[in-house]
Amino acid sequence: MPERLANRLKERRAELGLTQAELAERVGVTRKTVNTVENLVFTPSATLAIKLAEALELSVEQLFWIER
Amino acid sequence: MNAFTIGLLAGLAAVLLVAGIAKYRTRNRPMSVAAKAEYLSKRRARMLPALAVIFLSQQASFFSQMSGGEHVSAEQAKISAWLVLSAVMLFALATKGFWFERREVRDLVDDENTRANRNEAMRWGFLFAMGSAIGVYILTMFDTVTGREATHIIMSFGIAAAILRWGVLERRAHRSA
Repeated sequence: MPERLANRLKERRAELGLTQAELAERVGVTRKTVNTVENLVFTPSATLAIKLAEALELSVEQLFWIER
Repeated sequence: MNAFTIGLLAGLAAVLLVAGIAKYRTRNRPMSVAAKAEYLSKRRARMLPALAVIFLSQQASFFSQMSGGEHVSAEQAKISAWLVLSAVMLFALATKGFWFERREVRDLVDDENTRANRNEAMRWGFLFAMGSAIGVYILTMFDTVTGREATHIIMSFGIAAAILRWGVLERRAHRSA
């Protein structure tokens, strides 16, 4: 099975009561990008991953992990 | 003024008209930068596949002239309009697009996911262009193909494939879970 970058973006966003659009605005991307990262359609760059982790008040390792 | 110049001007006028209509439709809609980027991004996702179809359907003009159409001047005008449309689409693929929007909107509408989709679309465009070049090369073994015809075929397939792929990826990205 190929490796993929999984995340708990959706759960954490819900915990903080944020919408996709609000999170997108915090990190400076469109809602579409947040949507594709959440749904594992798009693998974010390290820069975006760090920005998302900061916005969601978690470390990158807590937010993202490699699924094998 | 010859038919080619008329076609070029007509193509430019069409591009400006489309841009003007798009701008006019959003004139009284106060939107934040994020909302505007979202709106434009969705509109682009809807428009790209349609543009690719229109672009490809234009090729009928070119091939009808190749087979000896009667109204040569009119056909030449259509072909030069095609050239303008090709250049505009190529420029849109290579840049952020939405040239008449504010810089912050343009930056946001070309965010990381869009750039990835655009790069993937360019890859498809390159592969289709090379594939059609191989096709044209094989065709020259059986028939005469002029430089203009070869360029037209290669550009059309390359650009249409890239635009279509970009549209598909953008639509998929907008789809909610």
